[in-house]
Amino acid sequence: MDRRQFIKLGAATSATATLAGCGNPENQLIRFIPEDDLIPGISVWKPSICPLCSAGCGVLVRIMEGEAEVIRNGQLGLIKMGLAKKLEGNPQHPVNQGKLCVRGQAALQVTYHPDRIANPLKRSGERGSGQFQEISWDDAIAELVSQMNALAAANDQKSLGFLTRPLRGQRQRLVAEFLSRFGAPAALDFEVLGEDVMRRANARSFGYDQLSTFDLAQSRYVLTLGADFLGTWNSPVSQSVGYGEMRQGRPGIRATFVQVEPRMSQTGANADEWVPIKPGTEGVLALGLAHVIMAARLFPAAAAGRAGAQVAGWANGLPAYTPQEVERITGIAAARVERLAREFAEQRPSVAIIGGAPLAHTNGTFNALAVNALNALVGSIGQPGGVYFTPRANVGGAQAGTAQAGRTIDKVAAEILATERSPIQLLMLGEANPVFGTPPAWRVKEALAKIPYIVSFGNFLDETSSLSDLILPDHSFLESWVDDVPESGAMVAVASLAPPAMRPLHQTRAMPDVLLDLGRRLTPAIELPWQNYQAMLQAAFSTLPAPPAPAGEEPADVWRTAQAQGGWWGEVAARPAAAAAQGQAPAAYTEAQFDGAAAEYPYHFLPYASQQFLDGSLAHLPWLQELPDVLTSAMWSSWVEINTQTASQLGIVQGDLVEVGSGQGTLRAPVFVSPAIAPDVIAMPVGQGHETFTRYASGRGANPISILAPVLEAETGSLAWAATRVRVSKVDGDGGLILFGGSLREHSEEHR
Amino acid sequence: MQESSTATTTNGPAKWGMAVDLDRCTGCEACVTACHAENNIPTVGANQAAAGRAMHWIRIERYFEGEFPDVHVKFRPVLCQHCDNAPCEPVCPTYASSHTDEGLNAQVYNRCIGTRYCANACNYNVRFFNWFNPIWEKPLHLQLNPDVSLREVSVMEKCTFCVQRIKEAKIDAKRDARPLADGDVKPACVQSCTANALVFGDLNDPESAVSRLSRSPRGTKLLGDLGTQPKITYLQREG
Repeated sequence: MDRRQFIKLGAATSATATLAGCGNPENQLIRFIPEDDLIPGISVWKPSICPLCSAGCGVLVRIMEGEAEVIRNGQLGLIKMGLAKKLEGNPQHPVNQGKLCVRGQAALQVTYHPDRIANPLKRSGERGSGQFQEISWDDAIAELVSQMNALAAANDQKSLGFLTRPLRGQRQRLVAEFLSRFGAPAALDFEVLGEDVMRRANARSFGYDQLSTFDLAQSRYVLTLGADFLGTWNSPVSQSVGYGEMRQGRPGIRATFVQVEPRMSQTGANADEWVPIKPGTEGVLALGLAHVIMAARLFPAAAAGRAGAQVAGWANGLPAYTPQEVERITGIAAARVERLAREFAEQRPSVAIIGGAPLAHTNGTFNALAVNALNALVGSIGQPGGVYFTPRANVGGAQAGTAQAGRTIDKVAAEILATERSPIQLLMLGEANPVFGTPPAWRVKEALAKIPYIVSFGNFLDETSSLSDLILPDHSFLESWVDDVPESGAMVAVASLAPPAMRPLHQTRAMPDVLLDLGRRLTPAIELPWQNYQAMLQAAFSTLPAPPAPAGEEPADVWRTAQAQGGWWGEVAARPAAAAAQGQAPAAYTEAQFDGAAAEYPYHFLPYASQQFLDGSLAHLPWLQELPDVLTSAMWSSWVEINTQTASQLGIVQGDLVEVGSGQGTLRAPVFVSPAIAPDVIAMPVGQGHETFTRYASGRGANPISILAPVLEAETGSLAWAATRVRVSKVDGDGGLILFGGSLREHSEEHR
Repeated sequence: MQESSTATTTNGPAKWGMAVDLDRCTGCEACVTACHAENNIPTVGANQAAAGRAMHWIRIERYFEGEFPDVHVKFRPVLCQHCDNAPCEPVCPTYASSHTDEGLNAQVYNRCIGTRYCANACNYNVRFFNWFNPIWEKPLHLQLNPDVSLREVSVMEKCTFCVQRIKEAKIDAKRDARPLADGDVKPACVQSCTANALVFGDLNDPESAVSRLSRSPRGTKLLGDLGTQPKITYLQREG
């Protein structure tokens, strides 16, 4: 029906209605919307893998035919092609079980982003000016080949560096092979909010160098210390699915959930009981609970086994951690410590979860070891409702942890700055943005500027990739062969796999294929046994065991079935725990150290991974910019959270602009006055404050990392990002806080 | 054309409704972005958002209770309640806001002339007005769902319970010569909901999951005392 017909019919029916003069005239109207004329298009669902965080959720991509403007062979034209229209969770995938988080839903915009790098680029202006010119792939590869050949000719292969966010699966293996065959050191991993402390603690307590998986669906009591496990931490979708079940999935059984943290997170907002704690004392609370449990003879010290042995004084029942002492250190009343301990020991299966800020103090490993021991004490390791370690599929002999242990971005930057000639002469840059994500004292930008040649595989210009000399843009994940080996979140071994869901939109090339191509063109060439990345994946996945076939039938082809369902998953032989390291002293509580004297800097500064942007790498997606933060309802902006009483003492009201200063620098942001944060804590989401990161994020808000002190966690040397103290003062100016919601509190019926 | 195709989970037409288990909802907001992606809801940018023109057919309301340190938070996903006695419907001079045979509160975009009476009358603040033509900066337009019409300036828009998915499920059932089963229709918010807090289905089928949950003693209606007869039941938190 066209518009003319509609108007005619509309006129006719309203005339009838007028004549009739009664009844329901709208029933006489033609109803061609919402449903009758609606013929849904034909779509195909293809598997893929969400790349936005390290959880590795499986997705299904809705592909429909559409017309896209693309450049092919230098010609711009409109072509019909399959286009991704929607992402959903893959129901078969063991990690996310058909569900997808808010960020995964927005991952579609990575592919269609208007500021994606569409062609290889060569720097045309000063370093960091952001001026680039398009060049052809042939010229770009030739330029990189000559740079690498020059290194090889000078016998200086070890000065090739590769900086990336941690890679997994065959991508990691390929990069490792490429670097080692060239003669370069292993790749340097960088993550803003890394998890090295948790991995170290799990390795010490249990012999597994990986993040934990929680069987929440069967838990009866969950005690969390700082971990935003329903929002941003570890494997949030997997954990949210389990959370729903532990609350309402079992008739007559509803788990109790207690969250301990100085600033209420999205996860903490769901707790039955929210317990603020003095930052950096979380491990003391865990040991206080263990003390009460052992003193009451609910469980013996020996039950904690190896995990208990990691904690000083454990075998003697932790005499130093009486409830009174725990109250003095943590600020949590002794009676409450006793009650929580009894609940934890009696409402089993119980599990304690630690993550986020408690591990980002100088004593982070101690805090994690304490919680591990508490879980072991009550028998929650490897038991229903407790802590598991996801088995690892051995895909083509891929192994985790080939990155150089102990070599971190801060040390590398210091090395570069300390020497006349940079030890890295050519840097390959994967998706990593350390210029945005490291404290200014590490001087990462200055160090990168000393590297003579930087080539980036990034999709977008950000603070780090804009320092490149050459950009070889990767495909988006929807346009690539993708694979992954999730570290946690599943009870079975998982090796995700998917072919490209759609053809490339731009003149981009998959990074693994570029590396393989590059290797063949070098002099001397790097001979890798795979023609392309697809061949590498096929060789690797074909080594996985086929599921048992019905009698008389051929076993299924693993390579094909994995592509169809989005990966391979199943039982594998249990991996034995690594033996305990000898001579490692048990951990004892030492007070967390903070940068900045309390007199001058009275507040703890607590940056946290934001619901929208995680560590800031997603600030370029407009759906996420306009997503109201669930606790503040803020959109398109930065804010700092200040306790109601503190704000009133400082004369600050909602939306006021404040200056937050540490010993490292200052930033300005509007205030969100919150009742759910401790009076001596100032919290701020990470994610905004990009100088350069597409039209949607550039120049918006402030970056809390820019005022962090370079304090390190004592055992692992990773950044203690919660160890900076700050002062706050009101300043003139518009805060620019944009809120979607109205009041903080619900009006009662009388006030409606 | 006058006959609308109706679902047949029971003998008569379906009556689509939803149950929201507030004891499961975590405030993760997966539903919010899922809805944007499914329904071609535009983003309006920082300036217009500051002017109160951001559009979210579903939102998570957050309410603080108590003072530090005894603070609690309540989350509540709020979307169109598809009221059986909808205040938005009688005020519309063009019948753009009207009821379908299956109980959906439909917004017929090409009848809408932008009086905004409906948004005024709605008790739930779930209707959103297009103050200008939506913009998708190329190639973001390629993300648009062809099953959902775009709304232009001066048109009111709102949650449809993903009517395009209802239709698709009916066509699939018809093609396979089977009745529509409980769970065949999942609006985008329901499909993404990480803790399975949202459940959708036919309220005329007493055995459907949504009907069973709606009979829960924890069930309440949002502003139910106003007589709007919402088709969404909120299951209150325990503990």
